[in-house]
Amino acid sequence: MNMVGLILKDFMTIQRQLKAQAMVMIFFLLMSIITQEGAFLLTIVVFIVTFQAITALTYDEQSSWDKYANTLPISKGDIVLSKYILSIFLMIVGLICALPIVLIIHRFTPNNWASSEFFLTFNLIVTLAFCMLALLLPIYIKFGSIKGRMVLIAICFIPGFLFGLINKQLPDMLVILTNIKQFMFLAPFAGLLILWLSSLISTAIYKHKEF
Amino acid sequence: MNAIEIHDLHKSFDGFSLKDVSFSVPQGTVMGFVGENGAGKSTTIKCMLNLLKKEYGEILLFGKEIVEHELSIKNDIGVVFDDLHVPETLNATQLDKFMKKVFKTWDSGYYFERLVQFKIPERKRVKELSRGMRMKLSIALALAHHPKLLILDEPTSGLDPIIRDEILDLFLAFMQDETHSILFSSHITSDLEKIADYITFIHNGEILFSEGKDVLLYEYGIFKGSKEEVSAIPEHAILRTRNGAFGVEALVLKNEVNGVFSLEKPSIEDIMLFYVKGSV
Repeated sequence: MNMVGLILKDFMTIQRQLKAQAMVMIFFLLMSIITQEGAFLLTIVVFIVTFQAITALTYDEQSSWDKYANTLPISKGDIVLSKYILSIFLMIVGLICALPIVLIIHRFTPNNWASSEFFLTFNLIVTLAFCMLALLLPIYIKFGSIKGRMVLIAICFIPGFLFGLINKQLPDMLVILTNIKQFMFLAPFAGLLILWLSSLISTAIYKHKEF
Repeated sequence: MNAIEIHDLHKSFDGFSLKDVSFSVPQGTVMGFVGENGAGKSTTIKCMLNLLKKEYGEILLFGKEIVEHELSIKNDIGVVFDDLHVPETLNATQLDKFMKKVFKTWDSGYYFERLVQFKIPERKRVKELSRGMRMKLSIALALAHHPKLLILDEPTSGLDPIIRDEILDLFLAFMQDETHSILFSSHITSDLEKIADYITFIHNGEILFSEGKDVLLYEYGIFKGSKEEVSAIPEHAILRTRNGAFGVEALVLKNEVNGVFSLEKPSIEDIMLFYVKGSV
């Protein structure tokens, strides 16, 4: 019940924000119809909707919600987990709304990507969203939204730096990527596993926090 | 039975620490928790709620250790801080929907009655409410699951006397049930004089006294006079002295002082000032 309450509270908190985002998404829908790029719409929808959990976290932080929530009979684990479940739930809702439109664009676009390519893109986007959440949530829970953003920027430099280092081996990388293409259907599950590990880390961080 | 029992609580930060804080709140009573800003009131309360982790000491609520029985204890307490800490985009009706999922004993009927009583708009977002309204909403939220213990951290600070009076009346109504208790932290001592049964005074992270309010108000007296006159009072009767505008002032034990000395009745604020600014 607590978990339902927490998710409900987050929904009510970001309700207006979601409505505002819906307007933005209508704009991107028109863009994707004009440019006949279904993948573009899918990416935008998945990322905008999923990351509303971060918006909910920011609202919580602004109001010192955690100080209040921890006076209620709610476990710290539930407080953390609710943000993960909210993200996954929003992603599913986002996909349910976006997929029919994306498929229609796909159907009526003569030069669009092949079905196998579509499946690959879909898996990649969902997995990427899971991985981004798995990274963002513990950072925001640990450092808050302002410091968290700075830590995130710092962390993003590391992959950039590593990419620079392995740049020379790039042709080999492409071969590897082509080889693992056939296992792409497993990627979202791997993403979920990473998200689950991230939730364990976030819970451990949260349990050590003082309010 | 004690609603709250704290033994040797210790918690330190950079430049401040709670030092072996001990006091108890008997069931059915209101404990006023006083001290100047930064004395350690909020830190003590946060340790009691496990919002801050104690370094050592024992904190029992309803006879149970808070860290071990956190969730079951929190079912029976209502907490009010000096502001309402909920996302500002929510309104009172949405908070009711949330609380219904959190507390099995949540009483929506009682909650909406309080909203009407306090004239809190049900659908106005928290950020559009005045400070007084936010505090009253916070109190309605703390009461509507019918807790046994209220923990109030500066609930009346920054509010006008009329709203403060309304809020105090509500707390008095809550105390009609003999099993209910309140810990009320405030630096507005006049509020505590109205409703507290006991006063615990904290200064620089240490408890200076924890006494019945009547003991403080009726057994203590203030003598104002010259240095020579004060020196005529038996030493054991003098608790604190301080230099006043026209000589020396002494906080004394009324019963230990000869009737020829004319004593004034102290307020809690006077006693606080003697303890903080006076000397032994």
